[in-house]
Amino acid sequence: MRRAALALLALVLLGLALYPRVASGYGIRFMLQCFMWIALAQSWNLVSGLTGYVSFGHVAFFGTGAYTAGVLIARHGWPWALACLAGGVGAAGLALLIGYPCLRLRGPYFAIAMLGLNEVMRVCVSYFEGVTGGGLGLSLPTLQASLAIYYAMGLTGALVTLAAHLVVTSRFGLRLMTIREDETAAEALGIPTARYKLAAFLLSAAGPGVVGGLFARDQGYIEPISVFPLATTITMIVMALFGGKGTVWGPVVGAVALFGLEELVWARFLFLHQLLFGAIIVGVVLFVPQGLVGLLRDRFRLPRYV
Amino acid sequence: MSPSATSVTPAMLAQVVVSGLLAGALYAVVALGLALIFGVMRVINIAHGTLLMLGAYVTFWWFHLTGLNPYLSLLASMPLLFLLGLGLQRFLVARVVGAPELSSLLLTFGISIALVNATQLAFTSDLRSVEYLTGSWLLGPLAVSKSRAIAGVVALLLTGLAYGGLRTTRLGKAIRATSERREVAMVCGVDVAKIDLVTFGVASALAAAGGTLVAVMVAIQPEMGQGYTVKSFLVIVLGGAGNYPGALLGGLLLGLVEQLAALFLTAQVSEAVAYVLLVVVLLVRPQGLLGGRST
Repeated sequence: MRRAALALLALVLLGLALYPRVASGYGIRFMLQCFMWIALAQSWNLVSGLTGYVSFGHVAFFGTGAYTAGVLIARHGWPWALACLAGGVGAAGLALLIGYPCLRLRGPYFAIAMLGLNEVMRVCVSYFEGVTGGGLGLSLPTLQASLAIYYAMGLTGALVTLAAHLVVTSRFGLRLMTIREDETAAEALGIPTARYKLAAFLLSAAGPGVVGGLFARDQGYIEPISVFPLATTITMIVMALFGGKGTVWGPVVGAVALFGLEELVWARFLFLHQLLFGAIIVGVVLFVPQGLVGLLRDRFRLPRYV
Repeated sequence: MSPSATSVTPAMLAQVVVSGLLAGALYAVVALGLALIFGVMRVINIAHGTLLMLGAYVTFWWFHLTGLNPYLSLLASMPLLFLLGLGLQRFLVARVVGAPELSSLLLTFGISIALVNATQLAFTSDLRSVEYLTGSWLLGPLAVSKSRAIAGVVALLLTGLAYGGLRTTRLGKAIRATSERREVAMVCGVDVAKIDLVTFGVASALAAAGGTLVAVMVAIQPEMGQGYTVKSFLVIVLGGAGNYPGALLGGLLLGLVEQLAALFLTAQVSEAVAYVLLVVVLLVRPQGLLGGRST
C-alpha cells in the first residue's frame, strides 16, 4: 500500500518534470500557478492547520518576499534564485517580529494581528518609495526564465509539502497538534508552547516569501496592490480548508481541485467567485471541518501521514 | 508635508484632541458591539466591520431614495441589521459557540467574504457618498467638521444608552451574567441561547449605527469594513477584553492617538500607528489598560 503510493508519487513527479517538453505555453503557466497555490495553501496549513492559530494575513509574507526579492534583483543585481531565497528569509524575519508578541498570548489576538498586517505592509511599501518605488511599482530587468521558474516553483511546492510531511510525522508536529487540541494540557506536559508556535509560524512564513520572490521574477513588475491582495489570503485558506486542514495532502488536493475549477469553470463566473469562496468556508466549517482528505482518512482509516 | 514638532501650536493641539475624541466615540460604539459578542460567546466576529458597511449602505439608499435627513436612517439601519444579526446567530454562529476559536474565526471570516461580495454584486464597487452637512462649525480657534461632531455625539449617546441598558435592565443583567460565567448563568435560569441571539442582534445594530454615522463622513464601498474590524478589536484589547466600560476608554484613546499621529507624522502612517499600538499593548499589557473583566 505504502510502496504503491510512493511509486505513484514518483511517477507524478517525473511526469511534472518532463511536462514542459510537451506542454504549450499556457500549460506551463497553468501548472506554475498550480504549484504556487500548493505552496501557499500548504504553508498556511503548517501554522493554522497544525496549531489552530488562524493566520488571516499570510499574503503579507508573499508580498514581503516579492518586494525583498524584487529590490535585491532590480537595485542590487542579485541573481534571481538567491534573491528569492532572501525573500523567504525576509518573510520569516517579519513573522518573527509579529509572532513574538502575538503568539505568546492565546486566542484571537494572533488572528486579528494578522488581519491588519497586510494593510500595514501595503502602507509601508507605499511609504518607503525611495526603496520600493511606492505606488508606481517596481520593474525588474527582463529575463527569459519561465522554464527555470516553473521548476523553482514546483520545487518550492514539493519542499513545503515535504516539510509538512516531516512535521506531521515528527514529535514536533505531535506537539503542535497537542497545542491545537488543548493548549493548557500541552503546557502541563511541559511543551514550551510559545516557542513551538513561533517555530511553526516562521516555517510557514518562509514558503510564501520564496513564492512571492518567484512571482515577482516571473511577472517582471510588482506594485503594492498586486502583491498584497486580501483575495490571495482568502484563496489559500479556502484551498487548505477544502482539502483538509492539518493533513499533509489536503492542501495539495484543495489547491489542485479549486485552482483547476477556477481556471476551467469559474473564470466565466468571476463575479460569483468570492461569494462562492465565502460559502465554501462557511459550509466546510459547519459540515465537514476535517475537509476532503480528512473525510477520506476517517472513512478508510488512513495513516496520519496522508 | 506635516508640520514639524516645533510649529505645533496649542490651538492645533486642542483641535487634534477634539477631533480625536469625536472619532474615538465612534470607534467606541462599534467596538462595544464586538466586545459584547466576545464577552458573551467568546467569539471574535470578523464580520463586524462588514455589518458596519451594510449599515452605511442602508443610509446611502435611504438618503438617495427618500432625500430625508440621513441621520434618521438610524431608525432603519439599526432594526434591519438587528434582524440580520439574529439570522446570522440563529443559523450560523450558534453552531460554533463553545467550539474551538478556529471554527468561529473562520466561520465569521467566511460570512464576511460572502457579504462583501454580495454587496459588490448588488451595488457594484463604486465609491458612494452621502452629501449632507459638509463644512465645519467654528468654535473660537477650533473648526469642527459638522458630520464628525454629530457622529461623535450620537455615538456617545448610543454608547451611554447601551451601558445604561446593561447596568439597569433585566436583560442587561442577564447579558452581564452570561459573560461573567456562562454555566452559572444557565443554572440560575438564564436562557443563554436567547441571550446569545439578542447579543448578536444588539451588536449588529451598534455596528449599523456606526455605519450610518460613518456614511455621512467618508466614501462608502463594499470593502470599507475590514479596517473597522481590526480597529474595534484594538479598542477592546486597549480596554481589556470583556470589560465593557473599557471599550469607551479604548475607543477614545485610539481616536486621540490616530489624530496625534496624523499631526506629527502623516495621515497615511496614522493607519499603521493603530496597528503598532496593538502590538505594543499586547507585549506590555495584554490584559488591557483597565485590566481584567469587570462589567
